[in-house]
Amino acid sequence: MNHSPSSCPGVTRRSFLADTGMGFTGLALSAMLFRDAHAAAPAAGQPSGLPHFAPRAKSVIWIFLCGGVSHLESFDVKPELNKYAGKSIAETPYAKVLESEGKNIIGGNPSHGNRKVIMPLQTGYQTYGQSGLVVGDWFKHIGECADDLAVVRSLWTIHNDHGAQLTWQTGRHPRELEHPTLGGWVSYGLGSLNENLPEYVVLGTPTGDCCGGTFTYGSAYLGPEHGGVRFSTDPKKPLPFIAPPAGSITQEEQVRNLSLLGKLNQLAGIDYPDDQNLRARIKSYELAYQMQASVPETMQLERETEATRQLYGMDRSETKTFGEQCLVARRLVERGVRFVQVFHGGGGGGAWDAHSAIKSNHTSLSTQVDQPIAGLLKDLKQRGLLNDTLVVFGTEFGRTPGAQGDGRDHHPQGFCAWLAGGGIKPGVQHGATDELGFHAVEDRHYVTDIHATALHQLGLDSHKLEIPSRKRLEMDHGEPIKAIIA
Amino acid sequence: MFAAAQTESSRLALPGVGLALLLAGVAHSPATPANRAALEHHYDRFLAKELNRCTTCHLPSERKEPKSLEEFPHNAFGQRLHALGKDLAAAAKPANLAARLALVAREDSDGDGVTNETELLLGRNPGDLKDKPPAKELSKASAKQAEVAKFLAAYRWRPFETVERPAVPVVKNGTWVRNPVDAFIAAEHEARGLKPRPEATKEILLRRVYLDLTGLNPTPEEQQKFLADTSSDAYEKLVNRLLDDPRHGERWGRHWMDVWRYSDWAGWSGGNQIRDSKPHIWRWRDWIVESLNKDKGYDRMVLEMLAADELAPLDTDALRATGFLVRNFKMLSREQWMEDTLKHTSQAFLGVTVGCAKCHDHLVDPISQREYYQLRAVFDPHNVRTDRIPGQLDTAKDGLVRAFDKTVDQRTHLLIRGDERTPDTNRVMEAGVPFALCGLTSAARTGGKLVVESVKLPLLAAQPDQRDFVFQDTLTASERTVADTREALAKLKASTNPAPEKLKEQELTLAATEAKHTALAAVIRAEKLEVAGRKDSDDWKRAATEAVAAQRQQALADARLKLHQTKTVLAAALKKAEDGKPAEPKAPAKKGEKAADPEALKKQLADNEKALAIAEKDLSAASATAFKPRTVESYPATSTGRRLAFAQWVADAQNPLTARVAVNQMWLRHFGRGIVPTPADFGRNGRPPSHPQLLDWLASEFVARGWSMKAIHRLLVTSSTYRMASTPDVANAKLDQDNFFLWRMNSRRLEAEAVRDNLLFVCGSLNLAMGGPEIDHNLGLTSKRRSLYLRLAAEKQVEFLKIFDGPAVTECYERRPSVMPQQALALANSELAHTEARRLAKQLATDDDEGFVRAAFAQVLARRPTAEETRLSRDFLATTAKDRARENFVLVLLNHNDFVTVR
Repeated sequence: MNHSPSSCPGVTRRSFLADTGMGFTGLALSAMLFRDAHAAAPAAGQPSGLPHFAPRAKSVIWIFLCGGVSHLESFDVKPELNKYAGKSIAETPYAKVLESEGKNIIGGNPSHGNRKVIMPLQTGYQTYGQSGLVVGDWFKHIGECADDLAVVRSLWTIHNDHGAQLTWQTGRHPRELEHPTLGGWVSYGLGSLNENLPEYVVLGTPTGDCCGGTFTYGSAYLGPEHGGVRFSTDPKKPLPFIAPPAGSITQEEQVRNLSLLGKLNQLAGIDYPDDQNLRARIKSYELAYQMQASVPETMQLERETEATRQLYGMDRSETKTFGEQCLVARRLVERGVRFVQVFHGGGGGGAWDAHSAIKSNHTSLSTQVDQPIAGLLKDLKQRGLLNDTLVVFGTEFGRTPGAQGDGRDHHPQGFCAWLAGGGIKPGVQHGATDELGFHAVEDRHYVTDIHATALHQLGLDSHKLEIPSRKRLEMDHGEPIKAIIA
Repeated sequence: MFAAAQTESSRLALPGVGLALLLAGVAHSPATPANRAALEHHYDRFLAKELNRCTTCHLPSERKEPKSLEEFPHNAFGQRLHALGKDLAAAAKPANLAARLALVAREDSDGDGVTNETELLLGRNPGDLKDKPPAKELSKASAKQAEVAKFLAAYRWRPFETVERPAVPVVKNGTWVRNPVDAFIAAEHEARGLKPRPEATKEILLRRVYLDLTGLNPTPEEQQKFLADTSSDAYEKLVNRLLDDPRHGERWGRHWMDVWRYSDWAGWSGGNQIRDSKPHIWRWRDWIVESLNKDKGYDRMVLEMLAADELAPLDTDALRATGFLVRNFKMLSREQWMEDTLKHTSQAFLGVTVGCAKCHDHLVDPISQREYYQLRAVFDPHNVRTDRIPGQLDTAKDGLVRAFDKTVDQRTHLLIRGDERTPDTNRVMEAGVPFALCGLTSAARTGGKLVVESVKLPLLAAQPDQRDFVFQDTLTASERTVADTREALAKLKASTNPAPEKLKEQELTLAATEAKHTALAAVIRAEKLEVAGRKDSDDWKRAATEAVAAQRQQALADARLKLHQTKTVLAAALKKAEDGKPAEPKAPAKKGEKAADPEALKKQLADNEKALAIAEKDLSAASATAFKPRTVESYPATSTGRRLAFAQWVADAQNPLTARVAVNQMWLRHFGRGIVPTPADFGRNGRPPSHPQLLDWLASEFVARGWSMKAIHRLLVTSSTYRMASTPDVANAKLDQDNFFLWRMNSRRLEAEAVRDNLLFVCGSLNLAMGGPEIDHNLGLTSKRRSLYLRLAAEKQVEFLKIFDGPAVTECYERRPSVMPQQALALANSELAHTEARRLAKQLATDDDEGFVRAAFAQVLARRPTAEETRLSRDFLATTAKDRARENFVLVLLNHNDFVTVR
C-alpha cells in the first residue's frame, strides 16, 4: 500500500514497483497480513499516513441531508419570525438585514421575488440542556444531546442551487467539476486503521447527478483509491459477489490467484507508473479479498442488543433505514474506517428541498433521521467512542425566512451545521445569523472551515497535504474554527 | 428583448440597419440598447458594467422614446462609429462592430487625452469629454489592455453562433501531422512546449481501435494478421474493416443510447402498469444500431427521432426512431414527461440546459422562460401509441411503439414560476426555439419562431388498423377461433355421455363463431374498398350489403346462444332450489358476475327472448349498407408539423450547436474526455473547450461530409493524435499533468457493457445475434448476448453492469468510470467469470505450459507476454494440478488490469 500522490509527475518506473510492492506479494506470504502503515518510509513529499500533530479524533461520521434543511426551524431558531409573520422584511425593525445581501454570495434567483414576506416557524421549539440550545421540535431527540453539540450558525456557501451539495463536500462550485472531497483528503492523509475495510465508506443514496453525483464522494486527482466506497446496509446482501461460487475455488487458490494477479499487474504497470487507476485496482483486489469476510461481519446488526437497536429506532418503520445506516456507521468506525459519509434524502435535488409544504416535508423527513442521529450520539458516548469520533451534521444551505407559498426557498446566505465529539467543545453555539436568520453576520464561515476543523481534529494540516502541482486556494483549505475546539 | 437578441455583430454590417435596430432597441428596452449587447459581445467580460447605457454612444435625450437620430443624437464616440460604418460599407469592407471598434480603439473620440478603448475598459464614457478617468485608474489600464489584446487576438469560442470553419494551422512538426486533427493538436503542443508521445505499439493500437470501434478484442488470428501486415496502409485498411463490421453499430449504438437516454419500460405488475418508457421500445435500439451501421446521416437520424411520424408517416422502419420521444413517457405525470422531453432533447442535441428556464429566465445562458414554453409548444401536442405489427394483433405482446400528435389543437401556456397550477392563460405560446441559439438558421429571421406547416397524414397513418396485414391477421385469427371451436365440439362429441345441454351450447357457440367470422370477412371486404378510396362504388355497396346481412346472421346466432346459456343456468338454479339443499357458503360474487338468483335469471331470460325475436325480425328487414365497422384505434388525420419544423432547425447545417455537440460526443468516447469537457452543457455553466478551433473545424467537416459519423470516426482514429502511446512523460506532465492538450493518449477503463461482452467474447461464448426484444435483466449473467440487448430501466438493471458504472437510467451523457472493490469481487467471484475461465482453459488445451500462457495472453489480453510474465505464469502453472491451475490462470488474466483497460 502506498500514499503517493500518484499524479505527481516525478513518479518513475522504479518507484511504481516500490510503491505497489506491498500488495499480494506480501499477502501470499501471510494470507492475513496486517499492514504496518508506518513501516515503509514514504517518498519525499508524500503523506506518511501519520498525523501532522496530535490528533483529537480518529474517525469522522459525516452526515449529510440532501436538499437544504431549514436552519430556522432546526438549530438556528428565530422566534422573531413568528412575531413578524406576514410582514415584509422591510416592514420589520430588521430591514437592515437586506443591506448586506449578496456579500460573497451568488444572489438568489430574482424571479423568486426574493422571498421577503416572512413566514412564521412551521414547528415549535424548546430549550435544551445546560447549554440552553434552542432546537426546533422537528429535532427533539437531537435536542436531548444539546450539551454534546457545537452548533455553527454562521455558514455561507457559493451556489444558490443544489450544486451546493457538491460545494459542501469539496468546497468548489459544481462548474469546476471534480475536486477531492473531505473524505478523499482524510483517506489520502491518514489511510485506514484496518486492512479489511476501505478508508472511506459511503452509506445511503448520494447526491443526484444534477448536483455532483459521484463527485460528492470522489477523490479527483488524489486517485480513485481515495474515493468513497458505497455500501448497502442490507444484511441479506451487504455486497454482491461477496463469495466465489460454492465449491469453485479454495481459499488457498484464491490467495495464490491474487498473488499472481498482483505481480502481473505490477509488471504491466511498469510502463505506466503514474496510472492512478492501476494503483487503485491493485489495492481494490487486496481490499476485496478482505471484505469478503469483513463486510458481512460489519453488517450483522442482529448481533446488537435490542436496546441498542431501539436506540437507533430500528424497531420503527420510519426510522429503520436511517437507523441501520447510523448503526453501521458506528460499527464501521469501531472497525477503523476513517471517514463514513452518510447521505439522507439523496438523488435529484434532494428530499429536503421544501419549496412547498415545508411543514409536511420536514416533519416526515426529520422523523426519519432525528432519533437515529440522536441514537448514534448517545451510543457513541456510552461506548466511549465519541471521544475520538467526530460527528458532523450538515446540509447544502438553509432556507429563506420569507415564504415561497407554503415552503421556503434556497438560502445560501446563512445556514447552520453542528459538530460533536472528537475533541469538539460540547454545548457551544458559535457564530450567528441576524435576527431573522437572513444573513450570517457574526463569525462567518465558508463551508471549508468545517473541513479544516475536521482535518484539524484528525491531526492534519491540509496545507501539508497539498500536492505541489495542484495548487489550492486559501478558500479551499479553510480555517479550523478554533472557538469550537476544546 | 429585441436588443438582447442582437448578439451577432455581423448583423450590424450596414450602418442604416444598425440605426434601425438601435432605435428599436431603445424603444423596447431602454436599459440595454442594441449596441450595448454588441459591445459586450466584442469585449465580453472586459467591458465595464457601468457602460450599460444608451449614453455610451448617444447624448442624453429629453425624449423618453426618441423616434430618430435627431431626437437622440450620437455623442462624439457614437458619431465616429456611425461614420466609420458608412465609410467601410462604401469601401466594401467589413463594417461590423468588431471591425469598427478595432479601428477606433486607439482613437480618442472625446478628446480627453485617453483612448476610447481605455475608457471603455475603465467604465468611462469614450464620447464624453468630462468623463475622464483619474490618474489612479489610468495606471491600472495598461495591464488590463494587454489582457484584452490577448483576449481579442485569441480564437473566440462562441458555441451559440454558427460555426465558421477555421483555417487548419501550419505547424513545425509537419511530419507528425497525418490529418487536420493533428495540425490543431500540434499547434497547441508547440504553443505550450509539449512533445507528443511516440506511436503506440502495434499490439496496443490494434486492441485500442478494436475496442473503440467494435467493443471487442481482436482475436489471436486478427492479431497475427495485423502484426504480419507491413503494408503502409495496414492500419487504415483495418479501420475500414472495423467500421464496416456490424459490431460497430452495436458498440456505438450503446454510446448513443447513453446520450439519447435509452430505457426499457419500468413499472409494476408484470407489465400491467407501465410507468416509464414503453414496452417494445427495443425497436428504437435496433434502429440506432442499423442506422449507425448504414452510416445514415446524423441530421437524418435527428429528423427521424424527433419527427419520423411527420416526415415519413408510413415508414415503419423510420417510425421506430421516435422511441427517442416515447422513452420520456411517464404514466404518473404528463408534466414530468414534458419536462424530461425538453430537458433531454436540448441537452442531447444542443448541449444546453433549457430546463432551468421552466421556472425563470435561465440564470446564465440567454434562454428566457418565454422561450422555454415556445419550445414546449413544439412537444405539447404529441403523445405515444403502439401500432400493430404483422403477425401479432395483441399490442401488449408486441408492437411498434411510436410518437404521434394526439392533441392537435392543444394550447401551450407559460406556467408562472413553472407551476402547472398557474398557467398564464392570457397568452398562447407559439412553437419556437431560443433566439440566442439560432445562429444563421432561418429561425433567426423570425426571432426564433418556427415556421410550421401542418402535415396531412395518409389514411393508413391515422388509421393503422386499415392496413392490409391487420385485415389479414384479423381474419386469420378469426379463422383460428372457428377452427378451435369446431375442434372443441368434435372433442365433446367424441367424449362419453356428453351432457345434452353442453353439447347444444357448443353447437350454438360454433354457429355464433362462424357467423361472426363471416360477418368479419364481409366487413373487411367493405373496409378494404373504403381504404382503396372506393366507398359508395357498386362493389362497395355489394360488400356493405353482405356485411349487414352477415351481421344480422351474427346477431341471430349470438341471441340463440345467449338464450340457451341463460336457460341452462336457470334450470340449474331452479333444481338447486327444489332440492332444498342447505345454502352453501356463498362464494363472494366476482366482479361483473350476476348472482344465480332465479328471479333475476328469469328476467334475463325474457330479455334474451326479446333479443332473439328482434334478431329474427331484422333478418327479414330490407337490405342495407350501414354495417357496423370494426372497433379500431383511430388517430388525428393531421399532425401539427411542429416537431418536424423543430427537427429541421436542429438538423440545419447552420445550427450552431448540433454538429459541435455531436462531434464532441464522438471525441469524448475516443479520447476519454470531450474537447468541451461538459458534453451536455455548452453554455456558461459548462467548461470551455481545450481546442475550440479543432471542435469548430470538426463540426464543419462533419456537416461537409454529409453528417457521416463513420467519416468522423475514420478521421479521429487514423490521426497521429489517436495513435500516440498513453505512456507518461515527466517533462510534458510538468507542463500539463492532466493531459488537457493531449500530448499522449488517455488510458481508459472499459465501460460496463464492454467488460461483460469481452469476458464472454474472449472465452468463446458471446452470442453475436443482433437485435430483438430486450433480455430480462435477471438473465444478465447467464445470457450470452451482447449487453446492449439486456433490459435497462429503473429498478431493472443487471447488477454486474451497475458495478462497472453502467448507465444511469435518468441521464448519462458521460460515463464516470470508478475503481471499486466491488468490481474486483464481480470479476473474481462471479459464476460468470468462473464458468468462462473454465471454458477457455479447456479450449486452449496445449501440452506445454509456455504455449498455454502465450495463447491465454493473446486470447484475453490481446498481447504477447513478456519474459518475466511468462516466467511468473509458468511457475504458477507448475505448482498445482494442471487443469485446475490453468483454469485459475485464465481467471487471473480476466481479472488483470489490462483486461478492463484500454491503453
